[in-house]
Amino acid sequence: MLSVEGLSKIFGSRRVLSDVSFTVRPGEVLGLIGPNGAGKTTVLECLAGLLPSNAGSLSYRGESLALTRRKQALFYVPDGILPWAEQPVKWVLRFFEKLYARGADKLSQIAGPLRLEEIGRSRVGTLSKGERKRMLLALSLLTPHPVLLLDEPFDGLDLRQTRDVMTLLRSESVTGRALVVSIHQLNDAAKVCDRLVLLNNGERVAEGTLGELQQQANLIDGGLEEIFLALT
Amino acid sequence: MRSRSFLQLLAKEFRELLASRAFWLMLLFVGLLVGHGFITAVGLYAEMSGTGGGPAALPQGLNSLDGVIVPTWGAYDLAATLLFPFVAIRTISSEKESGALKLLLQLPGTLITKLTAKGVVLLLAWLIAWIPGAVAIVLWRSYGGHVYAPETLNLLLGHGLRGLLSGGLGIAAAALTDGAASAAIVTLAFTVGTWALDFVAAGRGGLVQQLASYTPTAALRSFEQGLLRLNAVAVIALLSCAGFGLAAVWLNTGRTIRSRLLRTLLLLVVAAGLVWAGASLRKTWDVSENRRNSFSLQDEATLRRIDQPLKITIFLSPEDPRLTDFEQNVLRRLRRVLGKLEVEYAASSRTGLFETGDDHYGEIWYELGGQRVVERSTIEEVVLDQIYQLAKLDPPQRPNADESFGGFPLAAQPKHAATIFYIVWPLVVIVTWWVSRR
Repeated sequence: MLSVEGLSKIFGSRRVLSDVSFTVRPGEVLGLIGPNGAGKTTVLECLAGLLPSNAGSLSYRGESLALTRRKQALFYVPDGILPWAEQPVKWVLRFFEKLYARGADKLSQIAGPLRLEEIGRSRVGTLSKGERKRMLLALSLLTPHPVLLLDEPFDGLDLRQTRDVMTLLRSESVTGRALVVSIHQLNDAAKVCDRLVLLNNGERVAEGTLGELQQQANLIDGGLEEIFLALT
Repeated sequence: MRSRSFLQLLAKEFRELLASRAFWLMLLFVGLLVGHGFITAVGLYAEMSGTGGGPAALPQGLNSLDGVIVPTWGAYDLAATLLFPFVAIRTISSEKESGALKLLLQLPGTLITKLTAKGVVLLLAWLIAWIPGAVAIVLWRSYGGHVYAPETLNLLLGHGLRGLLSGGLGIAAAALTDGAASAAIVTLAFTVGTWALDFVAAGRGGLVQQLASYTPTAALRSFEQGLLRLNAVAVIALLSCAGFGLAAVWLNTGRTIRSRLLRTLLLLVVAAGLVWAGASLRKTWDVSENRRNSFSLQDEATLRRIDQPLKITIFLSPEDPRLTDFEQNVLRRLRRVLGKLEVEYAASSRTGLFETGDDHYGEIWYELGGQRVVERSTIEEVVLDQIYQLAKLDPPQRPNADESFGGFPLAAQPKHAATIFYIVWPLVVIVTWWVSRR
């Protein structure tokens, strides 16, 4: 569905991404995992066309995806943003719903798992980290793009919320949408992702399902943490 | 699909405008500034008109535009310089700082469409800020004051363009810089720069003076004098659009710095070409009621018969009041009538205090068809007669003084103005702001 080839990014004299390649399949949840500074956010921003890359190409359904066409296929939700802080959450959600002509069904479908009713009247600027994350996830799910890029979707969520959001993301992928999620909590990644791309110091270390990664690391029953340590 | 997206973006921008404290503060202060300007102007106008039953001092010099409307609306020049740019800056800076820009860039529509929505809402904000100014005109009419629609509408056009330019500048500064504070410094630096250009260019002639005639202050001055200059409209509109264009280039974060610099260069070249073409438009309209920007119809008809180039060399320094008189009463009008007019400012100093007769100081030379006459007067009739003599034309029969503009003296007190501008307006602004936040 989406193929990334040789993505590189240099900030000044620092190379933050080096020849990163991976593929995204329809209906899968692909996890970009790695420690802080591994380059996960940079990969997502380069893919979304919000940051220029120094090298690399992106193709969607076999065709090159130019910068100007990225937003037709991909939608990226950054981590830690506070969009339109003075507006009520309900209004921001309605704005996306109307902009993308999504029926009221979609909003009501995601409102329960994300507990949007609780925060609907609050201003975005007054939300806690977890509430803000739920609103941002709702915005991403209101878009119709075939590929969603989510930066740290579970950061700030408690255990129950994390579980609900995982279920919601899984149900979204069942419809054929591909989700690329960057996660630094490896336990969460192992639970929600179909396949994983391991990044370390801007380089792709490995790519595959948990089973394939276990084989590559020669750790048959190893967890993701052990695999990551073995491969890096 | 596109129009629906645009309407949604407009709605978003309008809500963001209402959420902007800078906008409400601008409304609050504009009302106070307009009120102060209006009350002072009406009081002075009444004094000049003979408060207490005395005769008017110079009735022919009393007209509502100069006496009341321009000083009252002068508040908007101040607002466009010091308040409105912050409203414009916020529309970009808040989204950059909060990260909302990353979402906005991915929403349907081009960046130009999104910036157009911001521009439309900024224009609307500027029009909302005009409410106190409009109230002042209504009050003036209610006192029995005279308002001449063409010159008043021309003034409003000038202030509209002034606001557009401030908006374009604020948007560009916010797009080019990292935060609102840096954008504010850039905007204020630009404003101070145009003031300096105004000062330096006075009485210099040439390219510098031509450039200075498009600074916000200088361009607005011609609208305040009842002169509609097509080139001023074109240049200000183009510069405003260039500001939005520059923002479109620099907000596109997906492009490399090199690509953005190249696009900036291309934009500047295209904008400079268009501005040059716009500046060469010579069409002007004198919409003032007292025809202050024109010679008499008879003189204009005679001057139009001169098809040879006229060169005027002026040995007067920029700070000499005679040069100001000559510019206001003669040159400004000659430029409108004569297609081939060359003006050279030949004084070598700024004040003229230390120039001597050897420097020809105080002289004005007129050259036409290989002949030259030297004259020291800056009086309109004397100058025109010299030009007719050079062009071998008979001076026309000029209208009698009785037929000239009589003025509109009015000794009125600014009744209810203080209540409206100092109490009612602030209350309306505060209550509307409070309701909009609910």
